[in-house]
Order: sequence, then C-alpha cells, then structure tokens
Amino acid sequence: MAVEVNKMTIRKDCFGLGWRPQLAAGILSNLDRIDLVEVIADDFFSASRHERRALQTLATQVPITLHGVSLGLASSVPVNRRRLDFIARLCEEVKPLSWSEHLAFVRGGGVEIGHLAAPPRCSETIDGTLSNLTLAYNIVGVAPQVENVATLIDPPYSDYDEGSWVSEIISNSKSDLLLDLHNLYANSLNFDFNPLDFISQIPADRVQGIHLAGGKWVGRANARRLLDDHLHDVPDPVYALLEEVGARTEPGLMVILERDGDFPSIETLLDQLERARRAIARGRMRSKINLRREDAA
Amino acid sequence: MSVSALEAFLARIYVDQKAREKFLENRDSEAVKAGLSAGEVEAVRHIDQVGLELLAVSLERKRQKHHSKRR
Repeated sequence: MAVEVNKMTIRKDCFGLGWRPQLAAGILSNLDRIDLVEVIADDFFSASRHERRALQTLATQVPITLHGVSLGLASSVPVNRRRLDFIARLCEEVKPLSWSEHLAFVRGGGVEIGHLAAPPRCSETIDGTLSNLTLAYNIVGVAPQVENVATLIDPPYSDYDEGSWVSEIISNSKSDLLLDLHNLYANSLNFDFNPLDFISQIPADRVQGIHLAGGKWVGRANARRLLDDHLHDVPDPVYALLEEVGARTEPGLMVILERDGDFPSIETLLDQLERARRAIARGRMRSKINLRREDAA
Repeated sequence: MSVSALEAFLARIYVDQKAREKFLENRDSEAVKAGLSAGEVEAVRHIDQVGLELLAVSLERKRQKHHSKRR
C-alpha cells in the first residue's frame, strides 16, 4: 500500500517537541512557539479507533512527524511487512510531514531486545538495511528518515566506523538522515572519536532532521559510559554540534527536542528549543560570513 | 552463514542473563555452539565487556519500566 504524506515543502527550519501525554497541555497551549510535534508511531500500533481519531485531530492542530521505534530496519533480517502496513495506514490517516525510524536492530532469533541495538557495522548489515529501506519505501510510499542510534556497546564484527556505515546507507538509499546529536555526542565520548568527523562524512543535503536530548553517565569511574536517557536537559556540547550542522546545511531542518521523563516545566523545554533556534542561526550566520570572505578573497 | 546468526546471538546475550554469564565464562565455545562463523567468533571473543554489562543493565531497567507501565 503506497500512501501520500503531507507534501508541504518546508523551506524554513521547524522546531518542535516529542509528543508525550505529560506534555500535551503545555504543547497545546504554546502552539505559537512550537512548529511541529513528533509522535511515536508504535504507540498507535494497537490503538482504538477513538485514539486514532484523536491523533488525526491533533494533526489538524499542529504538523506531525511520525517516529517508529520497533521496525528493526538495520538488520540482515527482513523487516516485518505487517509493521510496515501499519505505518502506511497511519501515514494515510495522519498525513505527517515525514516518518522516521532508527538504524538499529531490535530482535534476533526470536528474542525481542526491547530497545534499539546498534548492529554490527559491516557490509551484510548495510545490504540488509538497504533492502529493508526499499521495502519500507515500496509499502509506505515514502522513504523514512533514518536515525543514528546511541550505543553503550561497541558493536562487534564491525569493519566500518559509524560515520562511514551511516553514510553508505544514506548514499545508497532514498532515506535522509535524522541526525540525533545527543546520540552522536554520547557515542563520540563512549568510543573516543570526533563527532565533527561523523558530521563531515554525511552529505549535508541529506541531513533533514535533528534530534536533541540529554543523558547521564553510568558505570564505574574508570569504565563509564554516557547513556542517552532522554531524562536530562540538552548539554552545551550538543548545541555546539547543532551550530556546526547549521553552518553546513540549508534551511529546512526539522528539529525535535525529545524528553521522556523527569519532565521540567514547559517553559524550560521551550527555552531549550529557543536555544536550538539560536544555535542554528549562529551556524547559518557563520556560513554566510565565510562565503562573503571567500567571495572577497 | 549470514550475520543474522550473530544478531540472534547478540540479542540473546543482551537480554538473557544466564546466556550472557555462560558466554562470558567461555566465549569461544558459546559462540561456536551458536553457529557463528570463524570471523564472528573472533569478533565476539573481544567483545566490549564494559559495554555489554552496562547495556544489559539498561535493557533490564527499560523492561521493568515498560512492565510497570503496562500493569
């Protein structure tokens, strides 16, 4: 089943929040400061007709982007068609601006991991992911944006670094990147690489979405890792990365702040969105100044 | 052998504490028993143990949270 998502062309950057029931009142009373919301598609997998109608009503009030968490696209195992049919039906009902999924595997050999796991970064998982993305495109009618994931474990049997593995998938598919900057930041600290190297490996025009979040350190002092838990404020280095992305990309990004718990006031979240707007604006300004300098030289 | 056997093996040791303990006690034999290729056995022999244990704790907490939400 191929469906049409909302074909509205976004030429300006849009800033929004992940839709969570605890934030609903705050979001709906601040729609003048929120351009869009990101809804977890899987929350509606077994929703009643009433709940689905409520989502359609929400979509008339604020643009929506749908976000999947359980397809397991980044796997050598074919993605479940029933789950893709569900995404297609939801897209048809809600007409989102876009839909997205993670570059993760979530099950294997009949075992549900229960969360997103980074697959071995090898040619077999690139091929499997590309096949799954083709199937997703064929069934839903629109390619998903794909998101880089945070990982606490360096995935074994990897002969690509994360940047080149993601870049290979983006370059050989119709899918653009939903660049999660906190995931990137966490992985760069956990596995000691420069996040700017990752960003420079991705074709700038293929970055269409941004996720911002926070996390905390876990583990013992000499063996700790940064966990992307979505329970903390966005740390300063993530805004610095956002500025860098702003400097490299054209307007049209969809920037989503994700918060899954320990909710602060809506004002605190809106302040973080405002800070994100300023970071991108700084990056864009930097890029303009550099261009003028090059022209003058 | 496809890398799907490795994905299945990883899923099991990420989620199942007994499987993980058995693997950490004898990595090669558990990996061979799971039907992994020689290259995959070599890779999991050097698995990131800190990451494995932290990931397992994180997944367990997520499952507990999910379970308590459902009740």
